[in-house]
Amino acid sequence: MSKLRLNGVSKAYGATLALRRGDLEIAAGEVHVLMGSNGSGKSTLCKIIAGSVRPDGGHILINDKPVIISGPQAARVAGIGIFYQELSLASHRSVEENICLSALPVRAGLFIDRQALKARAARYIALFSQVAGEGFHAEALVGNLRADQRQLVEIMKALVSEAPILIFDEPTSALDRAQVDRFFEILRGLKAQGRGIIFISHRMDEITAIGDRVTIIRDGETIETLKLSETDPGTVIRLMVGGASDMPAARSSAPAVVEAQAEAAISVRNLSGKGFRDVSFEVAKGEILGLGGLHGQGQSALLRAIFGAGTVTSGEVAIGGERYDAKSPRDAIRRGCAYVSGDRGRDGVISGRPIIENVTPVHYLRDRLMIARPSSLRDKAIPALEAMHTKFASLFHPINSLSGGNQQKVIIARWLIDRPDVLLLDDPTKGIDLQAKADLFALIRQLAAEGLGILLYSSEDAELLGNANRILVFNGGSVTRELTGDDRTRYNLYQAAYEAA
Amino acid sequence: MTTTATDIRSSGAGGLRSWLERYPFLPALVILLALLALNGVFSPNSLSFRSLTGLLSTYMALVMLAIAQTYVVSAGDIDLSAGATLSLVNVAIVVLMERWGGGAGAVLLALALGVLIGLACGLVNGIVVAALRLQAIVATFATSIFFTGLALYVMPVAGTPAPALFWRTYGGRLFGVPFVFYVLAVLAVLLYLLSRTRMVTELLAVGDDQQAAYQTGLPVVAVRVKGYLLCGLFSALAAFCLTGDTASGDPLVGGKMTLYSVAAVVLGGSALAGGWTTVVGSLLGALTIGLVNSLVFFMGTPSEWQNFVQGLAILLVLMAGVLAGRRARA
Repeated sequence: MSKLRLNGVSKAYGATLALRRGDLEIAAGEVHVLMGSNGSGKSTLCKIIAGSVRPDGGHILINDKPVIISGPQAARVAGIGIFYQELSLASHRSVEENICLSALPVRAGLFIDRQALKARAARYIALFSQVAGEGFHAEALVGNLRADQRQLVEIMKALVSEAPILIFDEPTSALDRAQVDRFFEILRGLKAQGRGIIFISHRMDEITAIGDRVTIIRDGETIETLKLSETDPGTVIRLMVGGASDMPAARSSAPAVVEAQAEAAISVRNLSGKGFRDVSFEVAKGEILGLGGLHGQGQSALLRAIFGAGTVTSGEVAIGGERYDAKSPRDAIRRGCAYVSGDRGRDGVISGRPIIENVTPVHYLRDRLMIARPSSLRDKAIPALEAMHTKFASLFHPINSLSGGNQQKVIIARWLIDRPDVLLLDDPTKGIDLQAKADLFALIRQLAAEGLGILLYSSEDAELLGNANRILVFNGGSVTRELTGDDRTRYNLYQAAYEAA
Repeated sequence: MTTTATDIRSSGAGGLRSWLERYPFLPALVILLALLALNGVFSPNSLSFRSLTGLLSTYMALVMLAIAQTYVVSAGDIDLSAGATLSLVNVAIVVLMERWGGGAGAVLLALALGVLIGLACGLVNGIVVAALRLQAIVATFATSIFFTGLALYVMPVAGTPAPALFWRTYGGRLFGVPFVFYVLAVLAVLLYLLSRTRMVTELLAVGDDQQAAYQTGLPVVAVRVKGYLLCGLFSALAAFCLTGDTASGDPLVGGKMTLYSVAAVVLGGSALAGGWTTVVGSLLGALTIGLVNSLVFFMGTPSEWQNFVQGLAILLVLMAGVLAGRRARA
């Protein structure tokens, strides 16, 4: 008997077919992995199951009985809990309120039963108490939490449903290793209880660690379901990308990195600020400097501070030998600094506006452009987008019509119209698919070869090991180790990251 | 030198920030106290118990209207018809009280009907905005004209007096304590109870991120309609206070109060975008506006300049409040 079965489910947004034919079968007590590049329809499939997207066609069966899921509330009643990739949290509400929000315990049908709410939330907060990190408590406002902590809240919110069918759409993208390990322990427990779990991740190691079966989706169509124990990553990736099977293998191969030139692109001396302290390094032109370590050890804070979006309390930064203190991102951009964040929604995307407006804002600033002519802008935008192999229907479609990976490409393209001198990458591949990652890193290497100094923070070790010339390992806000040459091994990276943690 | 300055500010802001998170109305409270002090300077008499009571009973209507506005703002909506609802309830209860003879029974019955009228106005707004998905700002502007039209039908010209029983009670004393303080006490209890309800938490969750609230499984449309119903209810209560204060019906009285109520909400420290509101702040904000007006008067501003100075003063107060909030949150 299957817990959940989808037959030929489809969904179109206007002319775009988000899901052509989704088939899926979840058994009790399994972790079922969904794989596919971004925009292949995984998230749409999950949202259809969770009731927040209405399908155009197809059938959904729960325990072999056909059901119609009319909305998120109906999905809850039908026994479905979901972790949304983009999170479904109210940032001004507390952690405990968010956890219980979908079914607030009430007294007399009117008043919130605070004690019941606290008790219920506390059970789920306790599950992660060892790994949640500083500042995480039941009464903290979600908006004040770090990205990984917010993700934990969303996990708790999915767990509190105690639903027999649980969907996790990229629950680990911001988590550090300890948090992922804890989460997987919990998942194994749920599996043993006979729950059916759908799991999406772009990290191959996680998928092999937790998954039982994998269903591969390509271009909105279910391609195949395989047992993970009977297959290998290569096969899965080949099925995912279809014909082009030659690509992402390069990612795990030896670090083919460009040779750095002697001149420094950016140098940082004794820089301290909120979240990091006494950081010094120099990035030569053409060099890719990796920032490693566990999540939230100051890597993002440092990058944001250099870009003028964080706080610097002491120390100095020089670009091209010239001292500069960015007071604002505007300042930093004028000085040739570029910053790409993994948190597209917050730092990158101008939501709801056309693609062309999302490509050109930096150009406006650097060129001191007053009056824009679409035709001349188009000539500048198109090559930048093509350098990234961005897929888009027209420059005037809203950016939200693109998949996460393609949105990120648009954001990166905005920096390519006027070449910066320094590129700050703050976990740029968070939640984007393997194909887009491969495109992105090919471009980053090319940019380095053209003489840019690049700072790369990534939560995926493979990306650092495969692309960075040197890696600075962060721990508790400062650099604890520098890995160069043959020291750049996974073992060393793990060891340095965990040293004091 | 710059570095030390940043140091001090960031550490200072950290403590202030957590305070503001817990009590977002603090800047409003400080401004209110400052204005009280200024009032005292220009006219020591204005701080007497008697004049403060007068101020409270005059501005109780605006307090209620600002609270009404706060609940729709919580859900990320706005109600530009709150003032028109107030006018409609005002003229309706005055006409009904008069027609039914002005006795205690008539007054109570008229008040009950007034509450129903307020709720009905809220329901209309809720349906138009949440169910039909029209833009709140435009749709409630339209309904405000509609409600004003109804009010003009009920009472074409201002001036019908309210029964003496009603306004004497509102302006008088009960067991030696001014009646308006009982109103304030009941309001406080009501606000406290409301703050504990599931409804208000859901309103705030919807205002925070409507899509997230929908995906969480909250009945977003129903929640927003409830926000407008609460707004209608408090607009009706505002009308009662206004009627008690002016002792007469006026079909256009609430029109200019609508935007004052929005200003009071912002002054109080709520975010107009929704999800982050404080009814206590709105109460303080409404009183702040009242104090600004009385200050302008006590300063002896010539009458032709009063509007000018009033506008300027509200702008200054708004700036002070917003800047304080922004600095602490940065």
